[in-house]
Amino acid sequence: MLVFIILSVALLIVLFPYFWTLLSSFKDAAAINHPLDFNFKPTLDNWEAVIKSDIIRCLLNSIIVGVVVVLISLAAGSYAAYSFSHFNVGGSSAKFLVLLAQMLPPATLVIPLFLIMYKLKMIGTLFPVIIAHLTILPLVTWFMIGFFDEVPKELEEQAMVDGCTEGQAFIKVIIPAVLPGLGAAGLFGFILSWNDLFYALLLTTGKCNTLPVAVAGYWTFRGVEMGQMSAAIILAIIPGTIFTLFIQRFLLRGMTGGAIKG
Amino acid sequence: MKSKRIAFKYQALIPLIVILGAIIIFPLIYSFIASFKDLQFTQMGQAKFIGLDNYRSILSSKSFWKAMQNTLVFVLIAVSLEFIIGFYLAHLLYNKAALFRGFFKTSLLIPMFTTPIAIGLCFRFMLHPQLGIISKILLSIGINVDWFSPKMALFSIALIDVWQWTPFMFLLLLAGMESLPEEPFEAAKIDGAGGWKLVRYITLPMMRPIILAALMIRMLDGYKVYEYIYAITRGGPGEATESIQYHIYRVAFTYFRIGEASAMSYMLIIAISLMVIVLFYILRKGA
Repeated sequence: MLVFIILSVALLIVLFPYFWTLLSSFKDAAAINHPLDFNFKPTLDNWEAVIKSDIIRCLLNSIIVGVVVVLISLAAGSYAAYSFSHFNVGGSSAKFLVLLAQMLPPATLVIPLFLIMYKLKMIGTLFPVIIAHLTILPLVTWFMIGFFDEVPKELEEQAMVDGCTEGQAFIKVIIPAVLPGLGAAGLFGFILSWNDLFYALLLTTGKCNTLPVAVAGYWTFRGVEMGQMSAAIILAIIPGTIFTLFIQRFLLRGMTGGAIKG
Repeated sequence: MKSKRIAFKYQALIPLIVILGAIIIFPLIYSFIASFKDLQFTQMGQAKFIGLDNYRSILSSKSFWKAMQNTLVFVLIAVSLEFIIGFYLAHLLYNKAALFRGFFKTSLLIPMFTTPIAIGLCFRFMLHPQLGIISKILLSIGINVDWFSPKMALFSIALIDVWQWTPFMFLLLLAGMESLPEEPFEAAKIDGAGGWKLVRYITLPMMRPIILAALMIRMLDGYKVYEYIYAITRGGPGEATESIQYHIYRVAFTYFRIGEASAMSYMLIIAISLMVIVLFYILRKGA
């Protein structure tokens, strides 16, 4: 069918860059200089060079930052999302909250953040970029609202009849009910933090660079570097790709913030 | 019992408010004050209060207006293309029971969550005149395009944005379509309407809120474009691709003119707020 063909073309356009980058990561300098030659001999040199470079340290930094940011966001955000969802606090102002945070250009926040961290002599640590990444909190909260919407109110009422306070009901009964949603929200937040360049570039130095910053460092155009750059790119995009492939079901529920039914 | 219930739902908001207050409100206030001083990173202790001078010099700065113009053009091109293509794809995947529907739906979304800087570098590589596969393929059929010439560069950056974010539009629009009620469509089909007419007179109007929401989100994100520019053109050639976010970054972190950069951020916030208000007004009018 025509539809199938069109969709396949779209898919080709979407997947080709990934395929090409993966291919290039196995090419030596000579092969890089002849892109149309598919008869090259694959090499692991690029991957070896990348793994031996400080990319791995940056990758670990990204993981640390992501995990910390997600833990904080889930803790603070789940309470807030529950409040927005079950108690309808402020009505549709939850959506405005996200809008407000999205409106803010990172350029506005990064300057004072940088200056404060500089004064506190924190610039050589991961602390500033963790703080900066907490700006994903409204998005993560918004993502969770849809999942809390699906939890029936009777659940907490039952728990309270059994003698819990609201806080206890929340932790003992509601949280387990939304655990998959929290997982999806956590992964969503992790990806947001993982992908950031702007804050990471300006708030980390040398040893605490995150992965995107390290990848950005490949902005030189010598033939030799392209293979390594490709390998580094592949490393950087793995979490995002895995996330998309496995979380597709939850994506819709979270991203539409419960605004759309079903 | 009742008063306790009220307290919890507000208590639950405290962590969120505290964190956001510290991270957003405080820097906003600091930026606001800094925008009225001639604060420079190299002379931190000696900032004098200079009133509206920063704002005045920004308004008369050609670079600033060029950056704003670049950003606006970029947003318009990118978001329009994303909407048209995204809507068409959503329409295809919704209306027709396409083969491998779920597979397409999942795979088409991958670019959305890929690290933007990685994508920027990837496309830079692929569009490179000598090393780029796309350039080579086009050359072999006789087309020679300099993707990052002064005239093309902004458009090329917009195309990269379209590649990455059309899936997002597609996701949102498809979700919107799937939540539309069946009856109006059935009624129209009985009246003999088909294809394009259905879309124009039923689908589009009913989807107005979600369309506006999707457009708004993409436009807000578009204003912050930075990674592709950092990866490929660094604002060039000349200032042809300097977005406003990149311009502020340049003034603050390479020229160290913090006061001026803060003032620029505030002007950007005002510009964005105006755009949001206009979009909301359109939304209200339609509802």
